[in-house]
Amino acid sequence: MKHEKAKKFGMVIDLDKCTGCGSCMVACMAENNVPFREDETDKLLSVAWMRVYKLTNGKPFPDADICYLPRPCQHCEGHHGHSPCVSVCPATATDYDTRTGIVSQIYARCFGCRYCMAACPYHVRLFNWYDPVWPDGMEQSLNPDVSVRMRGVVEKCSFCIQRYQMAKDRAYMEGREDIEEEDYQTACTQACPADAITFGDLNNPHHKVHQLARPDHRNGGKPRAKNLFRLLERLGTNPKVYYKSSREWVRNLGDNHDAIQEKA
Amino acid sequence: MDTALIPKGVKRCPLPQFLAGLGAAHVVLLWGVFAMLLCWLKGLNQTNMNNAYGFAMWIWADRAVIALGGGAFFTGFLRYIVGKDKLKYIINYAVLIGFICYSSALLILAIDIGQPLRGWFIFWHANVHSMLTEVAFCLTAYFFVLCVEYLPLVLENRQIDKVPFFHNLTHNMHEIMAVFAATGAFLSFFHQGSLGGVAGVLFGRPFGFREHILIWPFTFFLFTWSAAACGPCFTILITKITEAIARKKLVKDDVIELLAKISGWMMLTYIIAKTIDTIYWAVVTAPSKGLALSHFYTNNALYGYWILILEVVICGWVPALILITDKGRKNQFTLWLAVILAVIGVSLNRWVMVLQVLAVPVMPFIKWVLYFPSWQEVATTILPVAYGVILIMISYRYLPIFPQEAELNPLEPPALPEDEPEAGEEAAQEAEVQEDQKTGEGDLQPAEA
Amino acid sequence: MKIDRRSFLSFTIGGAAGTALSPLPWKLTDDMAIWTQMWPWTPVPEKGEVTYVKSACTLCPGGCGISVRKVDDRIVKIEGLKGHPVNDGSLCILGLAGAQLLYGPRRVKAPMKKINGKFREVSWEQALDEISKTLADLRSKGEPHTVACIADSDRGTVPELLNRFLRVYGSRNFIRTPSIQDSYELTLNLMQGVRAMAGFDVNNADYVLSFGSGILDGWGSPVHMFKAHSLWREHGGKLIQIEPRLSSTAAKSDSWIPINPGTEGTLALGIAHVMIKESLYDNDFIDNYSTGFHEWKRHIIDGYNPEIVGKVTGVAPSTIVGLASSFARARKPLAVCGRGKGLTPGSLKEFMAVHTLNAMVGNIGKEGGIWAVPEPEYIEWPELEMDQTASIGTQQHRADGAGSSLYPQARYLLNRLPETMNASSTYKLIQVLFVAGANPVYSMPGSADIKEAFEKIPLVVSFSSYMDETAQMADLILPNHTFLERYEDVPAAAGYNRPVINLARPVVEPRFNTMHTGDVIIRLARALGGTIAKALPWESYEACLEEMMGDRWDTLVEEGYWTNTDFAAPQWSEAFETASGKFEFVNKEISSLARYSPVKPEGDEAAYPLILIPFDTMRLWNGYIGDPQFVIKSVPDTVLKKNDVLVEVNPATAKSIGLRDGAYAVLSTPKGKARVKVHFYEGVMPGLVALPRGLGHSAYENNLAGKGINFNELVGPFDDAATGHDAAWGIRAKLAKA
Ligand SMILES: Nc1nc2c(c(=O)[nH]1)N[C@H]1C(S)=C(S)[C@@H](COP(=O)(O)OP(=O)(O)OC[C@H]3O[C@@H](n4cnc5c(=O)[nH]c(N)nc54)[C@H](O)[C@@H]3O)O[C@H]1N2
Ligand SMILES: Nc1nc2c(c(=O)[nH]1)N[C@H]1C(S)=C(S)[C@@H](COP(=O)(O)OP(=O)(O)OC[C@H]3O[C@@H](n4cnc5c(=O)[nH]c(N)nc54)[C@H](O)[C@@H]3O)O[C@H]1N2
Ligand code: SF4
Ligand code: SF4
Ligand code: SF4
Ligand code: SF4
Ligand code: SF4
Repeated sequence: MKHEKAKKFGMVIDLDKCTGCGSCMVACMAENNVPFREDETDKLLSVAWMRVYKLTNGKPFPDADICYLPRPCQHCEGHHGHSPCVSVCPATATDYDTRTGIVSQIYARCFGCRYCMAACPYHVRLFNWYDPVWPDGMEQSLNPDVSVRMRGVVEKCSFCIQRYQMAKDRAYMEGREDIEEEDYQTACTQACPADAITFGDLNNPHHKVHQLARPDHRNGGKPRAKNLFRLLERLGTNPKVYYKSSREWVRNLGDNHDAIQEKA
Repeated sequence: MDTALIPKGVKRCPLPQFLAGLGAAHVVLLWGVFAMLLCWLKGLNQTNMNNAYGFAMWIWADRAVIALGGGAFFTGFLRYIVGKDKLKYIINYAVLIGFICYSSALLILAIDIGQPLRGWFIFWHANVHSMLTEVAFCLTAYFFVLCVEYLPLVLENRQIDKVPFFHNLTHNMHEIMAVFAATGAFLSFFHQGSLGGVAGVLFGRPFGFREHILIWPFTFFLFTWSAAACGPCFTILITKITEAIARKKLVKDDVIELLAKISGWMMLTYIIAKTIDTIYWAVVTAPSKGLALSHFYTNNALYGYWILILEVVICGWVPALILITDKGRKNQFTLWLAVILAVIGVSLNRWVMVLQVLAVPVMPFIKWVLYFPSWQEVATTILPVAYGVILIMISYRYLPIFPQEAELNPLEPPALPEDEPEAGEEAAQEAEVQEDQKTGEGDLQPAEA
Repeated sequence: MKIDRRSFLSFTIGGAAGTALSPLPWKLTDDMAIWTQMWPWTPVPEKGEVTYVKSACTLCPGGCGISVRKVDDRIVKIEGLKGHPVNDGSLCILGLAGAQLLYGPRRVKAPMKKINGKFREVSWEQALDEISKTLADLRSKGEPHTVACIADSDRGTVPELLNRFLRVYGSRNFIRTPSIQDSYELTLNLMQGVRAMAGFDVNNADYVLSFGSGILDGWGSPVHMFKAHSLWREHGGKLIQIEPRLSSTAAKSDSWIPINPGTEGTLALGIAHVMIKESLYDNDFIDNYSTGFHEWKRHIIDGYNPEIVGKVTGVAPSTIVGLASSFARARKPLAVCGRGKGLTPGSLKEFMAVHTLNAMVGNIGKEGGIWAVPEPEYIEWPELEMDQTASIGTQQHRADGAGSSLYPQARYLLNRLPETMNASSTYKLIQVLFVAGANPVYSMPGSADIKEAFEKIPLVVSFSSYMDETAQMADLILPNHTFLERYEDVPAAAGYNRPVINLARPVVEPRFNTMHTGDVIIRLARALGGTIAKALPWESYEACLEEMMGDRWDTLVEEGYWTNTDFAAPQWSEAFETASGKFEFVNKEISSLARYSPVKPEGDEAAYPLILIPFDTMRLWNGYIGDPQFVIKSVPDTVLKKNDVLVEVNPATAKSIGLRDGAYAVLSTPKGKARVKVHFYEGVMPGLVALPRGLGHSAYENNLAGKGINFNELVGPFDDAATGHDAAWGIRAKLAKA
């Protein structure tokens, strides 16, 4: 088999387009067999791989402004694949795949120590505090490509890894060497009615995501494109989810600035 | 009734009173066990932990208890490696306290993990990059060391010791105890450090994150150092409390003072390092992440600057300065004060390095998350305390823990039965003397003899 | 037997070593890893053959095409249909959760009859028998006009079948649930002389002036609107949102213009005033294709100068001038109205005011403008042959008063029904009511009155697939298949500017003992016999549908939808079917309507110093379908916390009442009272209280039932003087410490 170039799957989320509608959240839940309980209003106990945050500019009426920020797993690369969460897992239940850049989560391996949750600054990792229960009949809509998680393990957005596997299988069956951009798209990207999410290989200059973000791989993947930013850039988590906003206050909320005098 | 089991040359309270005390401790223990079973059967939804607080009271209790149990390895290190021979008079108790602390820590971990039946994955699928892996291996290994160190003590029980096999075993184990002590000290340096590393490596959590020295974050060394410094304080404190409850002296002052002095200097060096660390973190590390010091101590209902001052100044500098002075160590009030402050200080340090790490918002658009433990968490955290009390009660009663006890408390002739009604209940118990006590055996040899 | 220490010890140690070396502990350890993954109660979805079925979402009027992923016979995921003109592969939050409606516990599994207040399962034969007997009875008594039907749409074969059945039976009481469609239809009818739906060429518009329309909160065809908004972002199109609250739409707009609620129409006329003054209008259109402009102009010049309008609306005069200028100078401007998701018809005159803005810039039927989309013409059934009873019955007034001398313009006035019915306690206005695809008991303002009216109806028959609030009040439930189990044509997508027909099809076999509502109607007709049976002669609903679709059937089955790509709005010379053949700013009918004035909120200002307004969001559905599990899960905790709803209040307003963020409060209006929590929101105008619509269900699963409060319980309908439609946009309210 020909040695193929390592991929680096990532996203650009256009916050100017995102309307906060929540389609991405539900698409993800449906695709990935995310459980639900009768009361999901305590968001700190709720499992949702994609979470849409509502940002405010802090100004009073009528200068108030809000912006929605969808937050999947950032699939941090850290330095050389040392994502904040991967390096800490004592049981190797989560992994940074250098061939895809995807941070995986192995439910059957995880023993629920939650160290990875402590490590992730984006609150991406969620613990199954409860047994998953589907009301009688509702288990019928479970997707067999994604295993149902048991109580007591951590889970998170996987960039819909099963779709990548299926795309590869399909390509293989069809005798293709590699998958095309449209072969592998995440459920949230596909569902977004605002087309706010762009997904693809950040290493591939032909992919839209690369063109939008123009990541500077020699500089920790920092975006070169105007108005693009990543969350908590200064931590060195090196995320693969880029955000775009034409509003300065939104871009400013992407990182902490308390101790830094920004150059005008 | 159980007099045959009680070490020679010492007196103990009457069995009914002992059993009553034991019973009380068991009630607390059972409450904890009930909570523990709830957590195992119903899952961790029994706690008030949540997705923001993946670590909470238990992990704090773990870290604190291991730091406090640090008296075992450090006293062992001083006794066997450094050669502070005098410490043999307190080493047994240090080992016992360490044993309790470490077994408690392991128990709490077994409750804390979401999939207890998979707990062994941490060994089987070990990830060498993870601080927790290091913790798990060293902790478990050290626990076995503690067992080995505790075992001869158990075997020295008067009845067990009568068995020649055990007698010889004990003797042989004492011969090689230095090897175990050295191993234990080595292991402890690592797992205490790794526990510090747990928060220190979290480069996504600027409150916990510390820069590296070699491959370890600075907290790695601070944790080992603080455990070595404060662990013995806890040993002293528990000894003092035991003495207060038993109403007699069990360890001679010079032994305590020696340990306190070493502890004091350890604390002083620790707190200097900690102060430098804090300043460096506040001035260099955190700002490099865009965060000013105020970010960590304002805009919330609990974590204010007071916590930093309390930990570093009041519970760090103050006890260190007390314990390095001769006067401070000799004065019972200041000695008590110092060891209590040191214990609070190290526990507080473990608290902030676990909970404040998670409480501080990192993304600019989220808020602080505060947490209050559920009763199940409290009960399971008190469980080890009850268990510790039980183990101490039994060990103290039946094992020769304090080699100096008989010497310090020579036995009086048996009291006349007629005196009993006149004396207060406790006085009567104090007065009761073991039937088979012989004056000549008052000078009991230390356990390691 | 004597066991000495030595042998005991060797036995113990040997035993321990033996056990450790045996396979037992290793096996147990290994098993443990497996046990922990497969607790018997953790479901294990079965693998199987994966197929995709093209179908249609019917959950809202959005008209999206869907692609349903199946694994063997199970539906595991609903996705958007790629290439579909409305939603091209994307889907809204509700559509994505559609499978939960199929498999969830809210299903009605068999025909049900209420006996002594409790539902009992009955056979289809028994249920149909009972209804046809009652219907035959009423006819023999000469009271066929006391039968009515409420449906969520009047288009497509199922609503048409219901309507046809009713007519030939002898009743005109087919009632469509209200929405802005009512007002837009009337506007187009009065000003352009056409019977059409309003379509908006949003993809090509480059300056959208929205008078409170929740373009990104579920207005029109939600997914289509979202996509258009993204196009504006890419091509520099502008969105101006005029609304008292910073909604998602306002937040995404280029300019948010807070306005005193209810005065949107005034602002539209103020903008018109400036456009007239500054001659900022399309001369060609005004001069050659319109009439009445000069008459109308005088009225606008007199009454709506920016100072006056500024005072009423709270919008600065300079802003009004600026809006007029940028709207008129844009290449493809478009003005739209209908608040929020567009559930309330609103004031007709307000719609006409906004429509005149479109007319002045000449965007009627133009690229990026507002189009009159003809009603689907595929349902061509032979003229009805009516018997005597039916003829007499259909000469009676409609029960809701639509088309009466009081409200000649209105086609349907569901909002008026409770008042009429509750006014008299003995007169049986409606004796049998069918409800199809609607949940009026929940979704109509003035819930208490609706319930009272429903209780008066001797036989309420619900066709709902779900145990919703209306079904709970019914005497008989004849559950329809869900949209994933049945054929149905979905003609048109709300607000879409081209004709499109989607075909919903049975993606899976019906799971329960349900029956297609179309088949129920056909069977009822057959049972009643005579002209009624003759009017609905089909073997089955499916046969009827296939016949109606004719040539389109194959395309529909193949593609999942049919659209007329050649469709173009007619030239201005042909577009208007008014008496003058032109666009009419003023005509006899328009002049006969009451003059425009802002609708005042109900209630006394002294007793109720604040104003309660509802707001809509994509995450809360308040039509026929209530949030399924995934959707309610997406609702943030600033809207719903446990069972408490949070009302948005400006911090300044809240503080003046002494309410803290998160505090409990009692919200009261002239219609009702509720316990709420306060959420500080700088995005809501001081003096207002904003409450989300879509909560406060008493039906459905515990995920939704009992959570929050229903806005409709706190508000009543307010009749538009011109049409009788509900024009209420809010109500006076009071917020007090709890
Ligand atoms: N979320 C989730 N996690 C799981 C599982 C699951 O079902 N769900 N299943 C678990 C199971 S059963 C297994 S076996 C493991 C598998 O886990 P892994 O062994 O981690 O499997 P992969 O991620 O498929 O592949 C590992 C790495 O090998 C690289 N690779 C591919 N081909 C070659 C090659 O020829 N040479 C080299 N050197 N590298 C190559 C891949 O790009 C990838 O980086 O995953 C476990 N983890
Ligand atoms: N495309 C692609 N295919 C692969 C691989 C890949 O990387 N890519 N990896 C291959 C490898 S290494 C492996 S091991 C296989 C794994 O393939 P599978 O064995 O199919 O793995 P899963 O998807 O993890 O699990 C399948 C189902 O088993 C359920 N399940 C969990 N526990 C139990 C149980 O105790 N009993 C039963 N009956 N069901 C249970 C889960 O909920 C899930 O729905 O996939 C192989 N196939
Ligand atoms: S689906 Fe798209 S528009 Fe909706 S919240 Fe998610 S990213 Fe935003
Ligand atoms: S976002 Fe969190 S969970 Fe995802 S890779 Fe980064 S640290 Fe890990
Ligand atoms: S919770 Fe699971 S994935 Fe996370 S660190 Fe622990 S074992 Fe690893
Ligand atoms: S990429 Fe897949 S797993 Fe991640 S949030 Fe989107 S849908 Fe969910
Ligand atoms: S917008 Fe309406 S039609 Fe489209 S998917 Fe959503 S509910 Fe269905």
